[in-house]
Amino acid sequence: MLGEPRMQSSVVRLPLIEHYLREQSRATAVERFARVHDQESLAGKDRYRDLIPVEGLKPGQQLAFQVDLDACTGCKACVTACHRMNGLDGEEAETWRDVGLLQGGSADAPVQQTITTACHHCVDPACMKGCPVNAYEKDPVTGIVRHLDDQCIGCQYCMLTCPYEVPQFNRRLGIVRKCDMCAGRLAAGEATACVQACPNEAISIRVVNTAEVVEEAQAGGFLPGAAPPAITIPTTNYVSRRPLPRNMLPADFYRVRSSNAHWALAIMLVLTQFSVGMFLADFLLASAIGAPFGSRWPAYRGVLAAFVGVLALVASVFHLGRPKYALRALIGLRTSWLSREILMFGLFAVFALADAAISIAPPILRRDIEATPAAVSVLQMLVLGTGALGVLCSVMLYAATQKQLWTFGRTSFRFGSTVLLAAGSSALTMGLTEELTGAATIGAHAKRIALALALLGGTKLLWELGALVHLRAKSLGELKRSAILLAGELRGAFVFRFVLGAMGGVVFPLVLSALLGSGPVSPSHAVVAAMGVACIVGGELVERSLFFRSVSVPTMPGGIGR
Amino acid sequence: MRLAPFSTQRDGLLSLELARDAAGVDIGQVPRRLKPDATTTAICGYCSTGCALTIHMKGGVAVNLSPTLDYPVNLGAACPKGWEALAPLAASDRATTPLIRGAGGRLVPATWSDALATFVGRVRRVQERHGNDSVAFISTGQIPTEEMALLGSLTKFGMGILHGDGNTRQCMATSVVAYKQAFGFDAPPYTYADFEESDVIVLIGSNLCIAHPIMWQRICRNQHRPAIVVVDPRKTETAMAATQHIALRPKSDLVLLYGLANRIILDGGVDERFVDAHTTGFDEFAAFVQGYSLERTAEATGISVEALRRLADTICKGRRVSFWWTMGVNQSHEGVRVAQAIINLALLTGNIGRPGTGANSVTGQCNAMGSRLFSNTTNLLGGHDFANAAHRAKVARILEIDESRIPAKASWAYDQIIEGIFSGRIKGLWIIATNTAHSWINQADLHDALGRLEFLVVQDMYATTETAVRAHLVLPAAGWGEKEGTFINSERRIGLLKKVARAPGQALADFYILKLIADAWGVGDMFRRWTHPEAVFRILAELSRGQPCDISGIEGYDMLETLRGVQWPLPEGESVDPSTERRLFADGRFFHDDGRARFLFEPPRPPPELTNARYPLTLLTGRGSSSQWHTESRTSKSAVLRKLHPREPYVEMNPTDAAPLKIARNTWVIVESRRGHMRARAHLTPVVQEGQVFIPMHFAECNQLTLASFDPYSRQPSYKHCAVRVRREGDLGE
Repeated sequence: MLGEPRMQSSVVRLPLIEHYLREQSRATAVERFARVHDQESLAGKDRYRDLIPVEGLKPGQQLAFQVDLDACTGCKACVTACHRMNGLDGEEAETWRDVGLLQGGSADAPVQQTITTACHHCVDPACMKGCPVNAYEKDPVTGIVRHLDDQCIGCQYCMLTCPYEVPQFNRRLGIVRKCDMCAGRLAAGEATACVQACPNEAISIRVVNTAEVVEEAQAGGFLPGAAPPAITIPTTNYVSRRPLPRNMLPADFYRVRSSNAHWALAIMLVLTQFSVGMFLADFLLASAIGAPFGSRWPAYRGVLAAFVGVLALVASVFHLGRPKYALRALIGLRTSWLSREILMFGLFAVFALADAAISIAPPILRRDIEATPAAVSVLQMLVLGTGALGVLCSVMLYAATQKQLWTFGRTSFRFGSTVLLAAGSSALTMGLTEELTGAATIGAHAKRIALALALLGGTKLLWELGALVHLRAKSLGELKRSAILLAGELRGAFVFRFVLGAMGGVVFPLVLSALLGSGPVSPSHAVVAAMGVACIVGGELVERSLFFRSVSVPTMPGGIGR
Repeated sequence: MRLAPFSTQRDGLLSLELARDAAGVDIGQVPRRLKPDATTTAICGYCSTGCALTIHMKGGVAVNLSPTLDYPVNLGAACPKGWEALAPLAASDRATTPLIRGAGGRLVPATWSDALATFVGRVRRVQERHGNDSVAFISTGQIPTEEMALLGSLTKFGMGILHGDGNTRQCMATSVVAYKQAFGFDAPPYTYADFEESDVIVLIGSNLCIAHPIMWQRICRNQHRPAIVVVDPRKTETAMAATQHIALRPKSDLVLLYGLANRIILDGGVDERFVDAHTTGFDEFAAFVQGYSLERTAEATGISVEALRRLADTICKGRRVSFWWTMGVNQSHEGVRVAQAIINLALLTGNIGRPGTGANSVTGQCNAMGSRLFSNTTNLLGGHDFANAAHRAKVARILEIDESRIPAKASWAYDQIIEGIFSGRIKGLWIIATNTAHSWINQADLHDALGRLEFLVVQDMYATTETAVRAHLVLPAAGWGEKEGTFINSERRIGLLKKVARAPGQALADFYILKLIADAWGVGDMFRRWTHPEAVFRILAELSRGQPCDISGIEGYDMLETLRGVQWPLPEGESVDPSTERRLFADGRFFHDDGRARFLFEPPRPPPELTNARYPLTLLTGRGSSSQWHTESRTSKSAVLRKLHPREPYVEMNPTDAAPLKIARNTWVIVESRRGHMRARAHLTPVVQEGQVFIPMHFAECNQLTLASFDPYSRQPSYKHCAVRVRREGDLGE
């Protein structure tokens, strides 16, 4: 320094530190600069007047977002403004808007186009149709698709039915939420948060004629790489003065992402199907040994099957964000396959429990019941009937989402074969056990069941392996995406599924059929059969989680690496 | 559980979570949970646009914000960073106590008293051993002017430190030098209204839509159907919105501008009256650019003669042509001359000083402009010159300090300070609010350098930045929103930031930290008049008196608040009409003694690292998205912003270059330069030209690749050009 004596550095004045710490923690700019607001400010309304409709809606019309693609330059202010001005969940990073990117063109004329997107307030909202609790309603005047947060039970089915991934699940609240087109703001003559936030005035709210929207949706061509508009008839209108080149693709098009495993749903599906299969096995065994329909004396079968069924329903409740409101799920019967599924399995459980109760009733009571075998056989028919209808509803639930991996054909084969595998393997195990204990005689049927089981198990595995054929497809469609996931990211689970499936569905049954040829039934036979059941249960559970994880469908254009 | 599960629950606690109410805020309804009982405005702390944000306060603390509608800069808009400006304050990794590296090598929480003793003790020890100049500081464009001035004054006048520079070296140094040499003072001449007034807008090396989206808003508001020319090798979002995209070869911009000048001169586009009255050096310039025929320019830039002719014609015919540049120009091995070539075009066509015109540098950081005038690094406080004895005397008089305390020598630039570590001249480094260990060019060398320091102090909001984790001492700083002060934006508008949140733990505003250090160092008395930021502002206003940036007419913060910011200059006695936006040089008088602007030029040089067979691709770097800011020490703290940009490093690559390398879409690749390598996902797109790749600067690995080369006049690093190669991750390298 400049030659002056230095002060000892260790001398730091404590009061000064305390003074500044106190200053720092002191209250804020409010005292000096705050503006206090007690009346409604109208300043903003004028600025956005051209961007929201002035006149009322006529019948056959609704409100819709319009996006001027030429003005959207991808700043994403709309996303954050929507988040902030609607008070969305910060920790959950809840966003009701997103901005994606399309790229294409040629080397000489490359083109990129950013796309802002939110709920499309569809003419035929799949979220609403699928909702089991009627938590969605489409406003009869504005056409805004509104979600009733307090009505929602958090089943998240709308997240599967909406082709555009609009509803967002909030773990903290256990419900989904979505864009309401700032209905309250529009009602007050204010623009939506996104409209106000766009520096380029790319977003506006317009009145559209529903019939025209339907026509356009039928003609296809909503946005490149997005789900086809005919499914739900989205109303958002993307306009541009320059046509996009035909090779435009979302920046995340080649990114193949796996989906949530939904373990609770996987368990629920496999166990309901097992329960139905076990009742079927009970019926088959009874027929096999020539017992009249309606008579069943190894009581534990019904108890076991009913227990598995109830376990399935318990598992399904764990999937809900708000399980205590589960009963509400019956409200949507008119439109929702989920409601129907729940109703059917609910009835199934009631009948199954009644059936189980009868089978373990004290002999005095049972004598009276068994005196009316017709009643018992009706009950058994009801169990099987509601069970079968329940499985059918499960199939329809996924088929209704219009995903190629989940078509009616594919899903019914998947779920149906699980029922049959359950029936075959449990019949074998129960039959052999009963023969050992002298309760019943399965005799030569065992070998036949084992062979049929091996055939079914093998067929199912081959069919599942067939999914990989789509790897050879030239175009990166939904099924190729699923195949890429199974062969890549999900390979471990896929292999595991095959090991379990082959052990339980093919190897053990074949071993058993070979063993059964020689000599009387031994405990080892029953053990092999039981091990087979365990492997099948495990294999089907993994298969079902892959059913969820490997679904990969286009939604709306995303950004690079997102 | 309700008894009636079948009735529809329209209302309830969950619906209330999202209830909205009118709140008297200009944006209209706000979330009921966050309904403010008062509001105040504050200038955003990210980029140089200088948007005002209306902070929604509840019980004296910020709970939400919205862009301010009646602020002349942003007119009710903000980019995602601004919207999310409060999120980084609540981050869990805020530095809440000082941290001292202990014997075990770990950073251990300490009291302020120990931290100050450590700071003073160790800095002094380094200075005693190696001389006063062996300790340097690296400052920032992210803190208020008052804090910058205190830092620069404390270090240079109080602690005898000579070398200090700012991270503004990485973004604005080129413009500073270009303006100083051409205009006689570092004076961006424009006001944002110029975007709206132009009929021709030329953007050079600027992806305005992504880097400055709220300035792009002003172009959208232009009612004159302007021609928009974008000069950029990439087909950026801005290039997409342009009417002419000049996708030139990287670093061929100087030839392009000389070629255009020549063509415009030949076409009779020279405003002779203006050139004669207000400039010098035109004839020499005209003779110099004669060699740049359209054919030669086309050859060098890869742009067709036809497109060049059309562009020259557009500029000639424009009545109000404005030229704007950003980092594509500034971060170049010859950036000063490129910026001056732009200035030359504006001068020779007379496009300066009138509405809708100008040679306009769009600044980077929120207070880069404050740093340029008041950081006391390159310039002496108030845009003065350290080498000028009269300037030193003036500053000493106003600050009431001994004139001998003001060094007469200029400071080393950032790169020279880093080089000084290697040469053993710098042994102690104090880094304030910048993330050198991510952002500085050629990271391998930089990390080597940091390892050689005897003492590294990092003063930051976060103890987790790549730089802070290497420090011997971390001083926990309060951030934007937790303190007061002023920023100066790109159009020279001085705006207020406010304290609207409480800093966590023992974090202190940089102002208080610096005051404590001054006291601990024993020079507290030197800053006895620097009691609080506004007092400092008044001192700075006094220092600016008589300078081109004279703000002696600004009475204080209340005036800035009432007038919605004030553009410099505002000398005492001059009144300001808050409704008008002000530009410089309306009278054609520049700041050189003769009042004339200079034509400055020099033959182009090839970039220092050309591609060859081993490194066949040119690496371009730049901003990746509007939701990311620089090294992301703040923007990464917002979950929403994180959702809006790529999670993994990626490299944009032309499909034609990828094909022979068998690089498939979206697969992992290794990008290598002579200095380092990084792993990135291949994003194949014709948006980058053949022979080029692009990597956003927000990924720390990016600067493993970059080449430490600098503009010789501005010492600004040339981030945007080096040679690389790309291979599949599985393939073996050489």
